[in-house]
Amino acid sequence: MGDFLFYILATMLVLLSLVAVSIPNLLHGAIALIASFLVTAALYIMLQLEFVALAQVMLYIGGIVIFMLIIILLTTGLGEDDSLNRIRMSQRLSRALIPIGLLVSMFYFLRKTPSAVLQSETHRAAPVTMDDIGFRLLSTDNGFIIPFEVISILLLVALVGAVVIARKDRNGEEDS
Amino acid sequence: MTENNMNPLSTEMLYPVQNGIGNMVRTLFPESAFIINSLISICSLFLLVSLLPVFLIWLERKVAARFQARLGPMRVGYHGLLQSSADGLKLIFKEILKPEGADTFVFFLAPILPASATFLVMAILPFDHHLQVADPAGGVIYVIGISGLSILGILLAGWASNNKYSLLGAMRSGAQMISFEISLTLVMLLIVMLTGTASLREIVLSQQGTVADWWIFKLPGLGLIAFLMYMVSSTAELNRAPFDISEAESELTGGFATEYSGISFAMFFFAEFVNMFVSAGIAATFFLGGFLAPQIGVAFIDPLFAVIPGFVWFFLKTFFVIFLYMWFRWTFPRLRVDQLMYLEWKMLLPANLLLLMSGGFFMAMGGIL
Repeated sequence: MGDFLFYILATMLVLLSLVAVSIPNLLHGAIALIASFLVTAALYIMLQLEFVALAQVMLYIGGIVIFMLIIILLTTGLGEDDSLNRIRMSQRLSRALIPIGLLVSMFYFLRKTPSAVLQSETHRAAPVTMDDIGFRLLSTDNGFIIPFEVISILLLVALVGAVVIARKDRNGEEDS
Repeated sequence: MTENNMNPLSTEMLYPVQNGIGNMVRTLFPESAFIINSLISICSLFLLVSLLPVFLIWLERKVAARFQARLGPMRVGYHGLLQSSADGLKLIFKEILKPEGADTFVFFLAPILPASATFLVMAILPFDHHLQVADPAGGVIYVIGISGLSILGILLAGWASNNKYSLLGAMRSGAQMISFEISLTLVMLLIVMLTGTASLREIVLSQQGTVADWWIFKLPGLGLIAFLMYMVSSTAELNRAPFDISEAESELTGGFATEYSGISFAMFFFAEFVNMFVSAGIAATFFLGGFLAPQIGVAFIDPLFAVIPGFVWFFLKTFFVIFLYMWFRWTFPRLRVDQLMYLEWKMLLPANLLLLMSGGFFMAMGGIL
């Protein structure tokens, strides 16, 4: 049952991702991207990573894709400029070599030295709960409190930058 | 929480349908009870989602009529009770018109998104102690994440209609919903911070005791302010008057739904009303004690109230909040776009951050628990 579901979801994910990057209409591509994010969240739930799945839905579908959509909707002439077809076949093939090489080497190394985490029974049995993630993030010993706080400073910088950009120019035009 | 740490995703915890029907199915078909119970709960939820808007539309028209000193629908059924079912039936049989040059796929996809978003959020509303389809540990995050789908539907509908009014309405609506989602999330974060859990059921259970233990009354004055902020920002999130600039009839002829007709329009319309129920239900869960009976500390009334089943209390509280939404609609004039943004970014957001800080202060001083 679980394996069957995984193969369905994985096939959907691959197909939707292919559609997302290859379809000429940008908006349809964005919709395919949303669907692929949802399928990814479903895969996370199958791995019992509940928090990661919820964060995936909240951040990507609720946040990032919405902003992408607003930008797409503000542009005109969607899908008319078909620059994707102007790329020559040789160019495509040469660029495909890089991901293929990466995939083959990853597959080779994973087969050669299987990760110990994947094999151990204890890691399979106990999924990570939201509480675990929270405690690990904020604990001062063996936790990630310093990266967490540094990231919050980074976000603060981004927020201040957005305010500075959006603020009206005092010396410039007053009526805008 | 802690005793389930070893297997936190057990079916009992994820699908806590332990009422009479659920237990009966469990004794009759022990093996397949998991599937049957899930199917039953999903079907009953589907029934609720399809029947609620019919009733809510009737209620809205009746309440509006009362505010304007008229009778409202009276002809179809007792006091017009069947009026909205008749309207719904008419909408189903109407032809669906697609404007020329509209993007067919997106045009028909868009109305499905808000409707399915409301259905998905309904699945984790705690109607009663064990009457909840699923209770994920991150329920609040789930609610916030899924509400992105309704914004998505509205944006896509506006663009796919190939109509400038639709696009304007969708853009306004998208900007408004994204902005007010911030303060909505911050109010929810306050309650999550105080209760120490993000599961909706646990949030309800943290309010056990008398009425004074509900979060609306618990912090000295702050709970009430948080409730008011939730009401304001959720009204904006629902695109209801006085924040209905996205479908302002007088300027935009109906906003994003202008080009929709028949069942596609009905789906937008129904989703709007179910959304109102969902957001009122979340208000009841967060602030008004959810399915808990109000215990006012009077010896002979309290046991009487405790006898009434929890889902009755849940629905009573939810419909009280819905009445508040309807009251808002006929009390306040519509805001301009710039006033709306001013309200969110310069008033609600700083106030929310202050509220969060003072909530943390009370928590650190131990003044609430």
